[in-house]
Amino acid sequence: MSLYLFQALNGIGLGMIYFLISVGLTIIFGLLNFVNFAHGAYYLLGSYLCFTLVSLTGSFWLALVIAPVVVAMLAWVTEKTLIRRAYHLPHTFHILITLGIALIIQELSIAIWGPIGKTVAVPDALSGVISIGDFFYPKYRLFVILFTAVIALALWLLLERTRFGALVRAGSEDAQTVSLLGTHIHKLFALTFALGVGLAGLAGVLAAPIRGVHPFIGPEVLGLAFVVVVIGGMGSFSGALVGGLVVGLVQSLMTTLWPQGASLMIYGAMAVVILLRPYGLFGRA
Amino acid sequence: MTKPNAQTSIFSGVTLAALAAVILMPLVLPSATLATEILIFAMAALGCNLLLGYTGLLSFGQGIFFGGGAYIASLSMIHLDFGLFGALVAAMIAGSLLATLVGALAIRRTGIYFVMLTLAFSQMAYFLAYTLSDWTGGDNGLLDVPRPALSLFGFELADLTSSYAFYAFVGVLFLAIFVFARRVIHSPFGTTLVAIRENEGRASAVGFSTNHFKLLAFVISGGITGIAGALYAMLLNFAPLSNIELLMSENILIMTIIGGTGSLLGSLLGAGTIVLLGDLLSSIWPRWMIILGVALIAVVLFMPSGLWGGVESQCKRWKERRCTAGKTSGKAQEAK
Amino acid sequence: MQASKWKKLLTVAVLSAATTAVCSAEEVTVYGVKSLSGSFASYGKYADMGSKLAVEDYGNLLGSPVRYQAIDTEGNAGKAVRKVQEAISQQGARFFNGATLSSTALAIGKEVNKVGGVFMTPAGADELTGSDCNMATFRWSVPTYGAIHETVEPMIKAHPEWKRWYTITPQYVFGEALLSNAKAVFEAEGIEHVGNSYHSLQEQEFSGYLTNAMAAKPDVLLLLNFGSQSSNALRQAVNFGLKNQMKILVAWSSGLDQLQELGADVAEGVYFGAQYWHTVDTPMNKALVKRVREAYDMNPNYPMAADYIGTTVILDAIAKAGTTEGAAVAKALEATSYQGPTGDEVVRAADHQVLKNYYLLKGKAASEMQDDDDYVEIVSSGKSFPDESSLECTRS
Repeated sequence: MSLYLFQALNGIGLGMIYFLISVGLTIIFGLLNFVNFAHGAYYLLGSYLCFTLVSLTGSFWLALVIAPVVVAMLAWVTEKTLIRRAYHLPHTFHILITLGIALIIQELSIAIWGPIGKTVAVPDALSGVISIGDFFYPKYRLFVILFTAVIALALWLLLERTRFGALVRAGSEDAQTVSLLGTHIHKLFALTFALGVGLAGLAGVLAAPIRGVHPFIGPEVLGLAFVVVVIGGMGSFSGALVGGLVVGLVQSLMTTLWPQGASLMIYGAMAVVILLRPYGLFGRA
Repeated sequence: MTKPNAQTSIFSGVTLAALAAVILMPLVLPSATLATEILIFAMAALGCNLLLGYTGLLSFGQGIFFGGGAYIASLSMIHLDFGLFGALVAAMIAGSLLATLVGALAIRRTGIYFVMLTLAFSQMAYFLAYTLSDWTGGDNGLLDVPRPALSLFGFELADLTSSYAFYAFVGVLFLAIFVFARRVIHSPFGTTLVAIRENEGRASAVGFSTNHFKLLAFVISGGITGIAGALYAMLLNFAPLSNIELLMSENILIMTIIGGTGSLLGSLLGAGTIVLLGDLLSSIWPRWMIILGVALIAVVLFMPSGLWGGVESQCKRWKERRCTAGKTSGKAQEAK
Repeated sequence: MQASKWKKLLTVAVLSAATTAVCSAEEVTVYGVKSLSGSFASYGKYADMGSKLAVEDYGNLLGSPVRYQAIDTEGNAGKAVRKVQEAISQQGARFFNGATLSSTALAIGKEVNKVGGVFMTPAGADELTGSDCNMATFRWSVPTYGAIHETVEPMIKAHPEWKRWYTITPQYVFGEALLSNAKAVFEAEGIEHVGNSYHSLQEQEFSGYLTNAMAAKPDVLLLLNFGSQSSNALRQAVNFGLKNQMKILVAWSSGLDQLQELGADVAEGVYFGAQYWHTVDTPMNKALVKRVREAYDMNPNYPMAADYIGTTVILDAIAKAGTTEGAAVAKALEATSYQGPTGDEVVRAADHQVLKNYYLLKGKAASEMQDDDDYVEIVSSGKSFPDESSLECTRS
C-alpha cells in the first residue's frame, strides 16, 4: 500500500513539472489564439542554455535566472519578425510555421552542442535525498515542486491581480475591444508570447538535471504539453494545473499497474476528453 | 472556368505533365529505386492533399494509413499467399477502414481539436504496432516481404524483381491514381469539398451534410495512402516500424505543403523535392533539415500555395508578358 | 497508349542499366551505412570516421587503392534499405559495413545477401546471427547472451553477498532477450530476482520504475535499456540516491560516448557492460588509439572502433580471397581469426558471429581520473557465446 501512496506523491511531483511544461502553451493559446508547435523546441533551448551557463559559470542558480530570460527574448524577436504575420491565418498555418521554427532550433542545437547528449549536475545545495518511510525522494525534485508552486502562484497573481493580467484576460475574450481601449495590442501580444515561451525555457532549465539534455527531446515534450493542455482545456490556467497533475498521477500509477500502456493511456485520455468534453475539464466554449 | 471536358480529360495538360514526369524521372535520377520512392511518397502526398488541400483538414494520421497499408499488404502476402493485386487491394481496404475509424471520430471536432485527435490516434496506432510484435515484427520491422510478379488470372505478365520493372508498375499505378484523384476533385463531390474548406458554415447551410463529405474524403485519402504504404513495403521487401511513426505523418504533411496544397502536381513536386533534398544533401550536410524549416516558414508567410503555386504564377507572368508583347490579349487570358 | 509507354519505359530501363553496369572489376569500394543525419547522428558520425580511417590506412588492395563511400540512413530504416538497393544496382556495390539500428541492419543484411555480398555490422539484434542469419551478414558485437554473462556473472562471483537483483527492461524484442538471459543466469547462480519493471520504447521518465525498484530492496539494480533511455534511467536513479542503497549495472552501455554524456559524477561506482573500451591492452588497440589520436585528436569510442575493424576485416577477406566476388569473400571471412581491438577475434563459421571479448567496467571518482576520458576501470573481460549446438541460425 505504501508503494501506491509513494507513487501518488511522485505523480504529484511529476504533475508539477508537467504543469510548468504546458502552462506557457495554454497562456499563448488563451490570449493569442495561437498554436505553438515550437514549444518543445524552446524547452530544448532552455535546457541547452542551462548546460552552457552551468559549465561556464558553475552556478545553476545563475542559469535558472538567465536562461529563461534569454529564451523569452529570442521568442520576443521571433514574434516580432515571424509569428506576428501568422496570427490572422487559420490554426493549421500556426502549426506549420512553428513546426518550421522547431526544426530549425533542433538542428541548430545539434550543430552548436553536438549530437551527443549532455548532463547538468544537480546543484550542490540540493543534492541528496530525504527519506519518507521506506522510500527516498530527491531533494532537487522537492525543490522543483515548491519552486513550481511559487511560479504558479506568481502567474496567478500576475493574471488575476495586475493590469497586464486584466488586459491578457480581456484580450483573450475580445482582442479588438482591448485595442480600441487604447492599449497597444501588438505589444501585449509580443509580451505574452515571450512570457509563455520563457516558461517553456524555464521548464527546460528545471528539468535538465533530472532528464539531461538531448537534441530530440522537443517533440516528446510538445506531445506531453498538448495532452496536458487539451485535458485541462486549451487556454485555461487552472486547467493546465489540473491537467498536469492528472497526467503525472496517471503516469506514475501506471508504472506499477501497466507500464507499457502508460503512453497509450495518456493519448487515449486526450482523445476521450476531446470527444466528450471538447473544451477540456476547465476550458470555455 | 474552362470547358469541363478539358478539365477532366485524361489528356489534359496536368495529366500529361504528370506522365512526362513519370517518364523522365528514371532518366534523370541516379536510380529507379529513388524514382520509385518519389512516386510512392507522391502518392501518399496526393492522399494527404485531398484532405488538407481540398477539404482543409490537417491530419497527423496519414502515417496510420501508410503503415497500416504496409503491414496488411505484407501480412497478406506472407501468411495468405496473396498476389500483387490482392495485396494492394487488401492495403487499400485496410487504409480506407483505418481512415473511416479515425475520420469518423476526428471530424466530430474542428480546428486544433481535430488536429489533436489525429495526433492522439497516430500515437496510439504506433503503440499498437509495436505491441503486436508477433505480427508486425515490432521494433525490428517486418522482414522478408515479397515483391510478387505482375500476373492476371494466373498468367505471369512481368517479373517485377528488376528495379526498373517495378518502377514502371508503380508509375502506371501512380498515373491511374492521379487521374482518379483529378476525377474526384472535378466531380460535384470535389467542388463540395472545396466549398467546405472555404466556408463550412455556408456549405452546411446550403444543405450539404458536411460530415459525410469529410468522411468520404478521409476514406479516399486512406485508401490511396494505404496503397502507397503497400508499395513501399514491396520496394524495400521490408515494413519498418517507422512507417507508422508520427514522424512519417509529419513528413507526408511537409511534402504536401511544400509542394503546394490544392494542386495535385504540387504533391509530386513536394515529394520529389523532399526526397531528393534528403538524398543529395544529407551526406554532404547532415543538418540539411534546417532548409526544411526555413521552407515551411516561407510557405506560410510568402507562398501559401507552395512550390507549385510559385511555378504556376511564374508561368502565368511569363505567359502574360509574352501575350501582351504579342497580341495584347493578356486580359482575355486572365478572364478565362 | 499503355503499350507504347511500357515499351518506352523498358527502353529507358535497358539503356540506363547498360550505361551504369560498366565499371572496372577490381577496384574495391566499401560502403559505410551510417546514420549521419536524423536522430542517431551521435552514433553515425563516429562510425563514419572509423570506416573512413580504416580505408585510408589500408592503402592498396588487388592493385588499386580502396575507396570508401558513406550511405546516410537519415536515421530511418526505410531510407537506408532503399539507398543500399541503389548502391547495389547502380554501382555494383557488394561490401557494406555499419548500421546502428537493429531493424536497419536486419533488412540490409537481407538485401546484401540477395546479391551475394558481405555485410559486417555492430548492431544489437540477436536475430542477425540467429533466426535471420544468412550468408552475407556478419556481426561484430557480442550478442545479448554474452553481454549478460560477462557482466552479471563476474559481479556475482566477486560479490556473492549481492543476492537480490531488480531489473528494468524496455518491452520489445531486444529488451526481452537481455532479460531472458539475465533470468537464466540468476537461476543458475541461485540469485533472487526480486522484480522487473517493463517500460515502453519512448519512456524518458523513470521515477515510477525506480520507486518500484526501491520498494523491492534489491542489492543490485540491473538496467537493460540502452542509449538515451539508459542514460536517463541512470541519471534519475542517481538523483533518487539509489547509488547509496544498491549497486547499479548498465548491461548494454555504448561506452565512451555515453560516459562523456553522463559525466564522472553520475558514473562513479556504477558498473557498465561494454563492447569496447579504448584503454584495452592489446597490440592492435594500442595502434588504433595512437592512429585515431593522430587523425582526429580524440580517443576512439565504440562506433569508431567497431566500424574501423569491421571495414578492415572485410578488406582483409577480399585480399585473402583474391577476388571481389562476394560469395568468395564471405567464404574467406568465415572461420578467420585476427588481431582486433579486443584481442584475438574469431569469425565463427556456423552463424557469422565474431567471437570477441565483452567488458565489465566500473565508474571512477572524478579525482581518480588520469585524463578527460578515464571514466572507468576495467573490472573483467571475457568471451561468452551460446554453444554452437544451440544456435538458432539455420543457414543452408
